Amino acid sequence: MTNGTSPVIQVQDVSRWFGSVVSVSEISFDIYPGITGLLGPNGAGKTTLLRMITGLAAVSDGSVSVMGENPRQNSEIYSRIGVMSEHETVYQFMKGRDFVKMMANLRGVTDIDAATAKAIDLVDLAAAANRPMGTYSRGMRQRMRLAATIVHEPDILLLDEPLNGADPRQRVHFQRLLKQLADEGKTVVISSHILEEVEQLADTVLLVVNGKLAASGDFHAIRAALNERPYHVKIVSDSPRELASELVKLESVDAVNVDPDGALIVLSRNVRDVQMEVPRTAQAKNIRIRRVDPLDDSLESVFGYLVD
Amino acid sequence: MLSVYRLSLRQLSGKWRMLITILLILMPITMSVIQTLVDDGPPDDEFVAVVFGGMLIGSILPIIVLAISSAAFANEIEDRTLANLVLSPIARWKIIIPKLLASITIAAPFLAISAVVASSLSFESDTEAVIAVTVGTLVGVLVYSSVFLWAGLMSTRAIGFGLLYVFLWEGLFSGMVSGIRFLSIRHYATAIVHGMDERQFGQGDTMSLATSVGAAAAVFVIFVLLSIRRLRRMDVP
Repeated sequence: MTNGTSPVIQVQDVSRWFGSVVSVSEISFDIYPGITGLLGPNGAGKTTLLRMITGLAAVSDGSVSVMGENPRQNSEIYSRIGVMSEHETVYQFMKGRDFVKMMANLRGVTDIDAATAKAIDLVDLAAAANRPMGTYSRGMRQRMRLAATIVHEPDILLLDEPLNGADPRQRVHFQRLLKQLADEGKTVVISSHILEEVEQLADTVLLVVNGKLAASGDFHAIRAALNERPYHVKIVSDSPRELASELVKLESVDAVNVDPDGALIVLSRNVRDVQMEVPRTAQAKNIRIRRVDPLDDSLESVFGYLVD
Repeated sequence: MLSVYRLSLRQLSGKWRMLITILLILMPITMSVIQTLVDDGPPDDEFVAVVFGGMLIGSILPIIVLAISSAAFANEIEDRTLANLVLSPIARWKIIIPKLLASITIAAPFLAISAVVASSLSFESDTEAVIAVTVGTLVGVLVYSSVFLWAGLMSTRAIGFGLLYVFLWEGLFSGMVSGIRFLSIRHYATAIVHGMDERQFGQGDTMSLATSVGAAAAVFVIFVLLSIRRLRRMDVP
């Protein structure tokens, strides 16, 4: 229980494997109304997890409950859920408006025309609604797909990488819309592999790495943990040993090693200070720095740190 | 259901699919035109067996239906749009039936035209013969549609499996082992043609009209039910 409300989605010891490959391993969490970010690098198992929550894929072990019901083989539940998959394929020949209308009809909306117009207005795509979706840009397709996802005003929205292909303006619009839906009391789950994307939207984060739940809870605590992680920087200079002897004196530097090529590998937990002090130190000693490469910038490295 | 039916009609009536279908249905008509120009009187047994049994019912009918029915789901699975339909609060049979009806709606008129025109030319507008060939062909459309719709749900390689069934199982093996003919849609269709007009098509078949109609109906229903079961249980991409 959180804030006196019951979880809308409950995932209990869920695993999913394909042959000998384990895609999701014994994950448990509860999701409450508001925006929850499902964060993790590509291939972490986010999509499989979302597919199991929507009932599109079966669980190999464990259980999923959405509003107290098993979503698998339970089509009635889709009148209260809106799902936007990561795949951007649309019916190329179909006009955007007709697509949203069709989805409204399939989901049992009574006033189809009004609901369609409202959903299309919400994604700010009324001007292009009468064009075939084959002529849309990637961002427009995503927005029209979102309109189709919300046309029946579902209580739960499950969105897999919804900001893919959106330009900055569309991104802001998208984020504002999702926040508005969350303020109306809806449960929004948004998956992404981009840290900043989730940071701007979600207060609660589920971090999935290698099919396991690496961290969950308040986003800001997770972000703080990420900022304090040890960071490796490779520095190529014309006088590595002299630079190394100066850098170890700095408070922001934890360790300095010289690799076989003569480059320095600097370990620090305070990247901001290192960024300022290394050039200053080199300049003071008249040492020329040829190259600086961060070694821990990949998402896998960032997420891997939290798992370890 | 109407939404899914309309969507499926549009998806299945692609330009290339229609063009190939038209070219294929012209083949038996062309053969009949040539036969009427060359011969006076009704066609011999060999012509009937080759053009109506082998070409129309044995090859063109299953190929056209395979190309249309297997695509009803296979294409949606391949381009991952099936989730749009499945993530709706409607029973699975309300997706299967409109897709099946759309496949039949597209395939049946083309094949009926081919059957009517070719048999009218060859049998000099003998109504009984024309009706027999047309009904046999349409029964084939129904049963093949049901089977190949299911195949499209089972595999993205449904076309390959369908061709193996048509040409190896029905074409080759059923000619070698007579028992296999009881598990052959082509045989049900030809048995119906023979049963409806023994005068023109003889009695050479090993199945009665009633048996072949019953078998065709059973296969049709069984594969519709299998498709509904499959759509309920499968992981939708």
